[in-house]
Amino acid sequence: MSKLGQVVESIEKYNKFVLGQVKRARTDEKFGRELLGRWNDTKAKIPVSRTPTGLPLPRLALPEIDEPGEIARYLFAEGLPGEFPFLNGAYREMYLEPIREVESFEKNGEGPQRPARPPLPQAEEPTRLFSGLMLAEDTNERFHYLTQHQRTHRLSTAFDGPTLYGIDSDADGVFGKIGEGGVAIDTVEDMVRLYDGFDLGSPNFSASMTISGPAPIIMAMYIAAAKRRFGPKVVSKLRGTIQADIFKEVQAQNETIFPIEASLRFLTDMVEFTTREMPRWYPISISGYHIGEAGSTPVQQAAYTLSNGFAYAEMFAARGIPVDQFGPRLSFFLDCGLDVEYIALARVSRRIWAIGMRDVFGAGPRAQLCKLHTQTSGRSLIAAEFKNNLTRTAAELMLAYMNATNSCHSNSADEPFTTPSEEWIRLAAHGQAILLEESGIFKHTMNMLSGSPGMKAVERSVETAILDEFREIERLGGVLAAVEDRYQRSQIQNAAHRYEQQIYDGVRPIIGLNRYRNGADDIPEVKLARTPRKKQQLQVDRLAKFKKKNAEKANRALDKLADVVERGENCFPMLLEAAEVCSLGQITGRLQEVVGRFRPMV
Amino acid sequence: MASPIRILTAVPICDGHDSAINTINLEFIRHGIEVIYLGYHRSVGDIVRAAIQEDVRAIGISSYNGGHIEFFAEVVGLLRKRGANDIKVFGGGGGTITHEDAAAMKRKGVDNIFFAGTSLTEMIDYVRQHYGRPRGKRLGAKSPDQELAHKLTDIEDAYAARRKLPTRNAKSKIRNPQPAIRNTNVIGFTGPGGAGKTTLIDELVLRFLNRNPKGRIAILSHDPSVIGEGALLGDRATMINSQNDRVFMRSMATRGQAGGLSPATQDSLALLARSGFDYVIIETVGTGQEAMPFQKNGTVNQTVLVMNPDYGSRLQLQKIVMLDLADVVVVNKSDLQRARTAHTEIEQRLEQNRRNQRLIDTVAKRHRDPGVDELFGLISRSES
Repeated sequence: MSKLGQVVESIEKYNKFVLGQVKRARTDEKFGRELLGRWNDTKAKIPVSRTPTGLPLPRLALPEIDEPGEIARYLFAEGLPGEFPFLNGAYREMYLEPIREVESFEKNGEGPQRPARPPLPQAEEPTRLFSGLMLAEDTNERFHYLTQHQRTHRLSTAFDGPTLYGIDSDADGVFGKIGEGGVAIDTVEDMVRLYDGFDLGSPNFSASMTISGPAPIIMAMYIAAAKRRFGPKVVSKLRGTIQADIFKEVQAQNETIFPIEASLRFLTDMVEFTTREMPRWYPISISGYHIGEAGSTPVQQAAYTLSNGFAYAEMFAARGIPVDQFGPRLSFFLDCGLDVEYIALARVSRRIWAIGMRDVFGAGPRAQLCKLHTQTSGRSLIAAEFKNNLTRTAAELMLAYMNATNSCHSNSADEPFTTPSEEWIRLAAHGQAILLEESGIFKHTMNMLSGSPGMKAVERSVETAILDEFREIERLGGVLAAVEDRYQRSQIQNAAHRYEQQIYDGVRPIIGLNRYRNGADDIPEVKLARTPRKKQQLQVDRLAKFKKKNAEKANRALDKLADVVERGENCFPMLLEAAEVCSLGQITGRLQEVVGRFRPMV
Repeated sequence: MASPIRILTAVPICDGHDSAINTINLEFIRHGIEVIYLGYHRSVGDIVRAAIQEDVRAIGISSYNGGHIEFFAEVVGLLRKRGANDIKVFGGGGGTITHEDAAAMKRKGVDNIFFAGTSLTEMIDYVRQHYGRPRGKRLGAKSPDQELAHKLTDIEDAYAARRKLPTRNAKSKIRNPQPAIRNTNVIGFTGPGGAGKTTLIDELVLRFLNRNPKGRIAILSHDPSVIGEGALLGDRATMINSQNDRVFMRSMATRGQAGGLSPATQDSLALLARSGFDYVIIETVGTGQEAMPFQKNGTVNQTVLVMNPDYGSRLQLQKIVMLDLADVVVVNKSDLQRARTAHTEIEQRLEQNRRNQRLIDTVAKRHRDPGVDELFGLISRSES
């Protein structure tokens, strides 16, 4: 049985354990009294919030139960916020407004998982705005613009197509793609330019890089760039996240450049290095978002994402990295759409992750947390009467907060037809502030909307369906075997097809499209920002210069790299050396000679 | 009856958005169109080469990652340069291609761009209307590959029309291939669907290209036609090593013929066999047990049966007639648990034949697999 099979068993076992505890609380008087005492104690210690109208409210809402069995069910099956199995939240207070006179309980997360609210914001939230355009210096300028009034600098980097596929800007036929949809990065010199002027070693800086196929090479370039600017000591201080999720690439997003097993090996090499040398770095963001956007059902999204996560954990553990070292460095990224499953999808995911990590992998508390970034669904937005997208995104945000996501990105209403413009980006960001800061829904009381009978019903149903998916993957021989068998891929494509068919048949109402359509086309004329040819040529010229300058050193470094890969050793340290003198495409090309290229699945 | 419309579809380089094109492909084939699908992340060179070799009527490109003005223009430009002006280009990219972009692209020679909201029916009507009429007379080919591609089309069209070949000399030459194929090794690959034939062939191609710096290889690959409809010819999408100027590949739909080949196969193969390639590889559709696509002493001079270890009970082996005929039997996916048993059982089955057949275990999906090396050695040894 693979670890995933064991996870299924551990959840079943845990659910039985909960029932056992409920029974025990009802029959074992001493245990019952103990629980009741703990419960009353907890309730008594809950501080009081005051709303702007002066109404007192508890900062934590708990069900009104006083029967030991029900108390046991609540405490063991759900847990208080911040307590195992974390159904109600990874942290105790999440979005609560800090108490001014009393000391804040807020726990400090790190990187992308830091609870989204700092005390009393003076300026707007330090949001992580995804950006990347044209050349490194252009994106750098944008980064400085975005962070000009912020105390903490959290940059989120989008790369252009050639970079995502690990090829150079001078590769055949990619000229028009240079700097399109993201920044063009070919060399360590580009990486230096990209983050120029930012203090990479500062606790107030973190960089997020959305790239998976060539992630270890890009990571090496980032480290090399940081060392060039701040010396070797900066490495242990680097903060940030790199996506590096190979499974979801193969299942949904198609940006894989090496065969799966080789990709996983390079990933593990990187994780082994970063967990040891860069304790503040998140070397992987286990992403369901792209699975959801590719058309999966919500249950498929959660099931594949979690099972991918467990498969990574199994791999890292097999490499000998201690679970309490890599566990806290894993983070998750989920999609949130309008289907009813989203009322509890992330809640259930957090619970399954915690139980599986604790009971199958022996993880300690910090390694049990499913720390989650949520993005509202891009697929749910449509071009027809596009202003309705504001409402869609607002409803999705509401669902995301009901799931106690650790951080969130809200999509712009104009996304279906253009790169988001500043006006709509601002409205999208304000949607978050209106829900969290302006409205009283989330800032006074934890659990404000948790635990309704409907939500519980969705939780049970979703959990059962996720476990069924796990069983199917296990039956196919585990995650890797199922991936190679195209299982997840076919399931996602099927679901996508069904979704489109449902829209076409009207079974799935989309307001303004197949229902209450007014026929008017309200799409504004948009002008897309394109990378000028002159800039694209500049990138190609710079790359040529870099290659010429380093030609000899590059060959030696690539030979050494190939050797290490052939010998099966951890190749990350050698990647670091190669990143100093080789371009992305040179490294990719050499690695492909040794391990082969990814063969697409159709 | 006229031949079905053949078109090629692809997603540009550095672009993995294949969801739209997958849906469109399925809709095309449901409406009688034969689609050669090249896959995502494909270069201009790969697309144009494939379009010329497959001699399609048009190329449909689905682009979602930007750079489309340049990319489409480069495709049109390269087609012209290669003398393939008769191959048209159309495409789409949801909201990423603006009306202004589309106008610029049309000025550069693109036929049409479909915008977000275009129905599948509109696209199909467009393709039928613009690429469904009989081809006009074509000027001479600009390259041997293009000429070969045109001839293969003539053969397919002739069979579709159920008439004799139009050219005077064609029949005699094709029916009498012996003198010309002396230096060409024609190898037939068959086996059940999902055994990994395509991957195996692609890996052999890689070895061939590395070994013979100037050699050329041709592949004739088959996929089934949907009953009474089109066909999805998708082998190219996974054959990453075979997208090369030294590889001539042609994908054929079975067009209603049983047994894993097309009515036009025999003539097409004969033509390829006398066209100067070092190797000609023919791959059948995934076939059933009783199929025997290659005749003894026919154009094919070596036959390879690719098996999946999961063929079921031992008795099944007695029913697979290709086991009697194949020169080489390959158990692919030999990393699967059942592979050892499969090897033993097939070995015993082959011994009954007393024909000195070879049995090789491979894991074609693995880079530099020793089993594939062995198979390559075996095939190339019998060259002389």
